[in-house]
Amino acid sequence: MEKAIVIDGLTKVYKNGRGIWDISLEVDQGEIFGFLGPNGAGKTTAMKIMTGLMRADSGDVRIFGASISQNYVQAMKHVGCLIETAESYPYLTAYENLKLFSRYYPEVDDKRIEECLQITGMLKYKKEKAKRFSLGMKQRLGIAAAILSRPRVLILDEPLNGLDVEGMIEMRKLIKGLAGEDKTTFFISSHLIHDVELTCTKIGVIYGGRLTNVDDTRNILSNYSTLENFFISEVDRNGRV
Amino acid sequence: MEGFNAAFFNELDKLRKKKKIFWAALISILAVIIGQLAITMIKNGFGLRVAGGLEFPITVLSIFIYSILPLFTAFVAIDMFCGEFSSNHMKITLARPVSRLGIFSAKILNIGVFILVNLGFVMVVSLVSGLIFNPSSGNLMSFIKIILAYASTMLPVFVLALLIVFLSNLLKNGLAVFFLSVILYVGMIFLSIVFSSYSSFFLTSMFDWYTLWISDSPNYMKITRQFLIMVGCSIMFFTAGYALFDKKDL
Repeated sequence: MEKAIVIDGLTKVYKNGRGIWDISLEVDQGEIFGFLGPNGAGKTTAMKIMTGLMRADSGDVRIFGASISQNYVQAMKHVGCLIETAESYPYLTAYENLKLFSRYYPEVDDKRIEECLQITGMLKYKKEKAKRFSLGMKQRLGIAAAILSRPRVLILDEPLNGLDVEGMIEMRKLIKGLAGEDKTTFFISSHLIHDVELTCTKIGVIYGGRLTNVDDTRNILSNYSTLENFFISEVDRNGRV
Repeated sequence: MEGFNAAFFNELDKLRKKKKIFWAALISILAVIIGQLAITMIKNGFGLRVAGGLEFPITVLSIFIYSILPLFTAFVAIDMFCGEFSSNHMKITLARPVSRLGIFSAKILNIGVFILVNLGFVMVVSLVSGLIFNPSSGNLMSFIKIILAYASTMLPVFVLALLIVFLSNLLKNGLAVFFLSVILYVGMIFLSIVFSSYSSFFLTSMFDWYTLWISDSPNYMKITRQFLIMVGCSIMFFTAGYALFDKKDL
């Protein structure tokens, strides 16, 4: 199986002494990787480095072989992302926002923009300015922007943030559909552990800036009744250390 | 610089859709009209001739370059960097297949386009206004001089914009950048008056560069010297600004 994401010895330390240390992991093509950890554990830091929003002190990330630090443009051609909060230009409509992003991808046309708006349930708001959108609508637009280029890798930080129950179910279906049919690789962080259990095929736990465990969801669930129990036991174990 | 074209047209689209452009255009028109009314009133009330039809655009430029143009250029430059960083919009652009040099250059070029369009707009408005209120027998040469004056003004204002972009990447707070820019701007004007023999070291002294171009006997040596100083400053501010922009963590 081709390696979609290779993270190698990623380290980033902030001035306050927090950060991430020596994170290394691999995600195969078509896998849905769930990145779990308590608040401040370093999930967003790792994801920001993976998308080039932040520079690592040491280590590197390769997306389908292209290094984020050395060959950023080539690496990002494969990536769609949603980091921390779904941002859009408030003075532009939903359609205009996606039109702007589409300029970076020659293969994306108006039909694809409409398709993404349709998938995320935003088609009826395509002519409305983003400043009037609710949190959930902004999140849907952010997801539409992430999937716009049919990326081979989707890096999603809290993708279910602000979505209603219907939206969460649709999102789960979308992730499973893209991973199954298009072999899209997902790297997802979420606090909604039940959704992670239902969606992700592989789980990584980060605690205090260090990766403590990576395993297949199936293996984890054969040893623990729920993913929540596994997560709590990991946090307890590392908290004691 | 892959992705530069996309970044350039995106920045242009964003610039077009912002209300600042509307206000810049409106205030420019108002300033020209108020200036024209003042000149007409002086002419009719005191019988003094301040500026003829084709002299009016140059009179407008001499005021415009020290007031509205640098002000709106500063607004646009600060908004493109500090504004986008603080509102988290920068990450929308950065997490795309485009290098940071491509994004930085696209933004800088758009500030240049803004300055050029603003100058062109004021030139046309002041020309039309001047010719309506003070129809005079201007010749082709004076018309060419007006175009030359407005076109040459682009460079010193662009250098000022690059200085503001550098400050926008040095400091996080847009308001702090704005006030620092104002202090530097006023300080440079003050120092170039007090130490007039060293005025070529101060950027604001280059603002009347256009007068060299439109004089009856242009001093080409002085034009070249000032041009080289401005190009040197541009390269330094661009490089320093980019170095800071490239290292920024979001």
